[in-house]
Amino acid sequence: MKISRSTAMPYIIWMIIFTVIPLILVTYFAFTDGNGTFTMANISEVKDYVAVIFRSIWLAFVATVICLIIAYPLAYVVSRASEKKQKTYLLLVMLPMWMNFLLRTYAWMTLLENTGIINRLLVMIGIGPFAMINTQGAVVLGMVYNYLPFMILPLYSNMTKIENRLIEAAQDLGAPSRKVFSEVVWPLSLPGVMTGITMVFVPAVSTFIISRMLGGGSNMMIGDLIELQFLGNAYNPNLGAAISLGLMIFILLCMSMLNQFNEEDKEGMII
Amino acid sequence: MKRHRLIKNSWVGAVMAFLYAPIVVLIVYSFNSSKSRALWTGFTLDWYKKLFTNEVILSSLMNTLIIALISTVFATIIGTLAAIGINAMRKWTQALILNITYMPIINPEIVTGVSLMLLFVFVRDRMGVPLEMGFVTMILAHITFSIPYVILNVLPKLRQMDKNIYDAALDLGCNPAMAYIKVVIPEAMPGIISGALMAFTFSLDDFIISYFVSGPNFTTLPITIYAMTRKKVSPEINALSTLLFLIVLVALVAYNVVDSRRENNKEY
Amino acid sequence: MENLIVLKDIVVKFDGEQVLNSINLEIRDKEFITLLGPSGCGKTTTLRIIGGFVEANEGDIFFDGVRINDVPPYKRQVNTVFQKYALFPHLNVFENIEFGLKIKKMPPKERSAKVKEMLELVGLKGFERRSIDQLSGGQQQRVAIARALVNRPRVLLLDEPLGALDLKLRKEMQTELKRIQQSTGITFIYVTHDQEEALTMSDRVVVMKSGNILQIGTPQDIYNEPINAFVADFIGESNIIPGIMRTDYHVEFAGNSFECVDTGFDPDQLVDVVVRPEDIKVVEADEGMISGVVKSVIFKGVHYEMLVEGAGEDWLIHSTVASEPGTLIGMNILPNDIHIMDREEEPVLSEQKEDGNED
Repeated sequence: MKISRSTAMPYIIWMIIFTVIPLILVTYFAFTDGNGTFTMANISEVKDYVAVIFRSIWLAFVATVICLIIAYPLAYVVSRASEKKQKTYLLLVMLPMWMNFLLRTYAWMTLLENTGIINRLLVMIGIGPFAMINTQGAVVLGMVYNYLPFMILPLYSNMTKIENRLIEAAQDLGAPSRKVFSEVVWPLSLPGVMTGITMVFVPAVSTFIISRMLGGGSNMMIGDLIELQFLGNAYNPNLGAAISLGLMIFILLCMSMLNQFNEEDKEGMII
Repeated sequence: MKRHRLIKNSWVGAVMAFLYAPIVVLIVYSFNSSKSRALWTGFTLDWYKKLFTNEVILSSLMNTLIIALISTVFATIIGTLAAIGINAMRKWTQALILNITYMPIINPEIVTGVSLMLLFVFVRDRMGVPLEMGFVTMILAHITFSIPYVILNVLPKLRQMDKNIYDAALDLGCNPAMAYIKVVIPEAMPGIISGALMAFTFSLDDFIISYFVSGPNFTTLPITIYAMTRKKVSPEINALSTLLFLIVLVALVAYNVVDSRRENNKEY
Repeated sequence: MENLIVLKDIVVKFDGEQVLNSINLEIRDKEFITLLGPSGCGKTTTLRIIGGFVEANEGDIFFDGVRINDVPPYKRQVNTVFQKYALFPHLNVFENIEFGLKIKKMPPKERSAKVKEMLELVGLKGFERRSIDQLSGGQQQRVAIARALVNRPRVLLLDEPLGALDLKLRKEMQTELKRIQQSTGITFIYVTHDQEEALTMSDRVVVMKSGNILQIGTPQDIYNEPINAFVADFIGESNIIPGIMRTDYHVEFAGNSFECVDTGFDPDQLVDVVVRPEDIKVVEADEGMISGVVKSVIFKGVHYEMLVEGAGEDWLIHSTVASEPGTLIGMNILPNDIHIMDREEEPVLSEQKEDGNED
């Protein structure tokens, strides 16, 4: 088996150049100034953006909770359906995901505009118009819409593993529906819940497209902040690196707290 | 019980409506003769005609396909070899390498994008290598984020495989290289194919990482779409969305039909 | 008969742990030899040494007089029937059997003739195009044998080949394997933890335990003259009673003095006395050398299995006549049925002999 071990060499070299070194560079830039001398200035500057950071976390959190509330019953219903129906449902859930998310978000722009369809309908029935676009609500809506499948799929693949026999056994042992749920279904589905939460929260907290397209200029998030430092007017890669580093560490900490990201889940998360 | 089912069905229906409403709106408005996104002024195919004469869209579509194809081929080869090697490693080296491998998957995409951008800028500015942001950097970036998906798909297949399968090939006269080519790789083929498919679709769809490593002279479709949404809105986007949606729909349905037919055959 | 394979002082360590302790074994041409022992005894490792899948840390292995330590598996004149068969799922029955010949670049016509011949030998004519997952366990087993035998190996290694089959099929395959071995004249080296299987099929049995060979002999030798209490207990159920060898032909156990046929022990040496359950004769209470009370009776089909308590020991008895639980009975043992062995240092009881997907 010695020969086979060496087949990983090209990848290991690749991984060092394109994964490890770039992350080291992010750290290096975060702790240096434009001339390459060591400084803590970037790190301490991050705290000027506390409002943006908290807004990002808050909006991502709200979006994750809404996703969970919508997805959990749906995933459960789908997982109990007949095999053929399951396949169809799954296809229906995945299909929108295959459309570029810029287009999906753009579609919501169309819908939410002040002169958009929803407002026109509302006017027609005599209420509104409401300012919907460029609000935090619109950003959360965009997140929920884009990342809902990421919540449904891990929940579903976890729940298909909960056998009907277990539910019947609980009923047989005298558990009423509420107890069946709280004592059997919910605990068993927790790994799926955890995976779903990470898969929604991570992209939501770091997005810069959704906030820009649906949130207007006033609802900046961490992602926008980073983007501005690298490709925007604020050009300051050192500060950008510091924020990125902070974001990365924050995510990794959240992840290790959820502590559910074991290998099995990871292999199961992509259908 | 009946009420139960009603609640279930309406929940599923509501979620599906939520998922598809924007897409339906896009599709409907792709046939709207007015530029307005709200008023329906009549049916037209103009936007489709305009789409097919739009140089920018067509060339970026081409670029997207080229990038996806090249990066998928490289990622599949490197990733499959890597999975074979990783599978044969000792436990702790395996864990170390897998943890680093998962980094690009766990990390927010924007961090991966930024880190790669820093690498390319660093190589260009501090090391003096004339590396322009564009085709090359894009390929490198796409291979980088695709490999983990290949490994993720191939490794479980290798782990599930009866260890004696490899020994059996040796036993029947294969040298180690032949044993891999004749037995191990064919055996892992479903994983390799799904890994490659995943790499391909992620590459087609990627915007965030591409955004940070692309240059002005080389753009892919997602980047072009982004640029279009920033500017004055053109219904060509609607037409483009409709076409992409139809392509995906046809592909997925076809795949499922073939898949279920294959399964039916198996039962005999 | 000539020795085909010779293992000399073979030592194997996995992660510093000694799996084989200086094994010496000679395997004769055309014999059916079985490596028998509980899980983790090193029998599969020994087989893999011969197959070339495991390297010995010390010692030499000879094939036909030539040292083959460094010969890789694909260059050895040995083929293997693997545990759970290891058939290639992506190939059909024909392609599986043909695999080895294809690697050797045999022309297609010859190849298919040989495959046909093999399918006939294992009784799977007409199964050529079946895919592997359409076969039953027994059929997969036959394909695995055909795939190995078609290469005309000098030696066929079989690693618990019947382990995954149900009892009835296992019995069938035992006779089948013996028939194939006799008709092909190929040396079979067979690994199993099932003593009954070993006794039924083998010319010789090698009993192993914790990396050592305890005894090598014909099934009759092993059954009738087990070398120690472990072998006795592993090969069928036994009563093992502590005793003292007073002089040649005289042993004391269960509070009685018995005549026996064993010699060569030290005077007053502590020994283990082994008596097979079927060798204890049940007689009237006052006619027996030992008397005891029947504790339980179980009907086993051919015989009754009785547990009797007497003279401070529990006795397992197989008898065609049952006695009611609670009755007092007498027990007699003939000199020929008393087997004396050196007392083992460690207690035998803890040794499991149940199942084993081992090593």
